[in-house]
Amino acid sequence: MKQFEAEVLENRVIAEPWRELRLSWDASAGLPRPGQFFTLRVSSFSDPLLRRPFAFSAFDGARSRVAAIYQIRGGATRLLSEMASGSAIDVLGPLGRPFPEPREGERPVLAGGGIGLGPLLYLAQSLFAAGRAPLLVLGVRSASRMPSIALPEGSVVCTDDGSSGFEGTPVDWIAHNLPPGRARLYGCGPLPMLAALAALAAERGWAASLSAEQWMACGVGACMGCALPRADGSGYVRACADGPVFEAAEIDWRRR
Amino acid sequence: MRPELGLRIGELELANPVGLASGTFGYGSEYEELVEVDRLGALFTKAVTLEPREGNPPPRIVETPSGMLNSIGLANPGIEAFVARKLPALREMRCAVFVNVAGASEDEYLEVLERLEAAAPHSGAAPRSGATPRSGATPRSGATPRSGVDGYEINLSCPNVRHGGLAFGTDPAQIERLTRALRDRTSRPLVVKLTPNVTDIAEIARAAEAGGADAVSCVNTLVGMVIDLGTRRPALATATGGLSGPAIRPVGVACCYKVSRAVRIPVIGLGGISRAEDALQYLLAGARAVQVGTGTFVDPGCAISVLEGIAAWMEAQGLGRVEDIGGLLESPSGR
Repeated sequence: MKQFEAEVLENRVIAEPWRELRLSWDASAGLPRPGQFFTLRVSSFSDPLLRRPFAFSAFDGARSRVAAIYQIRGGATRLLSEMASGSAIDVLGPLGRPFPEPREGERPVLAGGGIGLGPLLYLAQSLFAAGRAPLLVLGVRSASRMPSIALPEGSVVCTDDGSSGFEGTPVDWIAHNLPPGRARLYGCGPLPMLAALAALAAERGWAASLSAEQWMACGVGACMGCALPRADGSGYVRACADGPVFEAAEIDWRRR
Repeated sequence: MRPELGLRIGELELANPVGLASGTFGYGSEYEELVEVDRLGALFTKAVTLEPREGNPPPRIVETPSGMLNSIGLANPGIEAFVARKLPALREMRCAVFVNVAGASEDEYLEVLERLEAAAPHSGAAPRSGATPRSGATPRSGATPRSGVDGYEINLSCPNVRHGGLAFGTDPAQIERLTRALRDRTSRPLVVKLTPNVTDIAEIARAAEAGGADAVSCVNTLVGMVIDLGTRRPALATATGGLSGPAIRPVGVACCYKVSRAVRIPVIGLGGISRAEDALQYLLAGARAVQVGTGTFVDPGCAISVLEGIAAWMEAQGLGRVEDIGGLLESPSGR
């Protein structure tokens, strides 16, 4: 973990309002693992004030570069989208707990909802490298929101409106098409999708590692701001330092 | 001339006037890879209560213009786990450690303090902590082992807990009584943290001084609220929260200006400090030291730059001692 100044290498539109950001990476900060994230300070002024978290969507160790995909949602991501190649940006990372590796005999199935695709792309990259070819199932609202980004071979695309691929959500697709047997679901996406994925995994006896999202201020476990409720009712965990990846049964995904 | 940055809070010598604010730096370990804490004057820990507290339900944080609103609810492991799990690392700190104490009743504050006194016996040695910005960390003087507790900051003003906290922080008679009771139980420096959510903060500061406080820190967060128009719900689960960051800096500076003219004990200024210029406004207003809080979330290294900037400014002004800065404040124009 380190705070350093990186260079924006590319900031391209992959589907409105989504962008793919590529940054130089200071190797002395440590090697990012799938599921981990970094934070960016997008302005040296006080508004927007807080750093914003982004999951790694790719890591190129040879050239020491990272990527993240993000959605323009508010002022901070709007400012970020306007940063040209060559700009300097304040980076802090890598942060958080990564995705666990699939156990022996577990088939890795990656379910991404919308912009939640990001960390799953990096996970897929590393699973392929380890010879554990994953199945990626991506859900988007409609064909017009399909990002222009290379998906792993054999990926399944789902659309809410049926304008492309399977009509329905990645959870629907998995419920209908994934054969019984040992599997580990990896999920990242909107909270209702994660709740549905957790319920499905529990019902079918699949392991599930889900990446949560929550507002955070520090990103390193100090501020206690990014609380998520534990499933057993015994208080909260921190999305930044205890997560962002949790085993599905650890968290009450229906409460926020 | 190299400026002297050190100062005293009660019997304790701080190497310099820059501290890290309670609730923004955990118990010191979270930021250890990112911030050279040993170069700073003091660390004010996350609040400790008698029993563990889970804290408030999420969402606990929302960003505001040049600020943030939080409602953490004093989430902490409780005194027993603090002593077992957090204190050992605090003993390794070279900067002064002020343990922030919170409670829901007078008895709770007293018991937390007594438990800390028992767990960290007072050696009587006043640690000369931290270091000047240029020389790197200075080894601690002598071989006396550190207790991990150099002083206490009494959190009388948390806006996010229903009992205690803010309720205590607004009644001068209660503050004086509680401060005196704490004073009777420790010879370590006692810093009382003040809330700006009162009509007359100077009156509260005088009560703390009368009760025997060695310093006051001012200010805690301001009560605020954000409503999400999409859902028509408050953005925070507790509806209101505490506002911090650059947005509250002018309020904090004004409070320090008032309080430092009402009491003789040192005032520690905080609220929206992330640059040396911010800290110097507080010092000119009458604060003897400052704390960096929300600024650390935004830029973990900023407390160190604040310290370096204060030293550089003093050198440029030809100032010998940090406590001389307050005397430089001019009258408002036209007066």
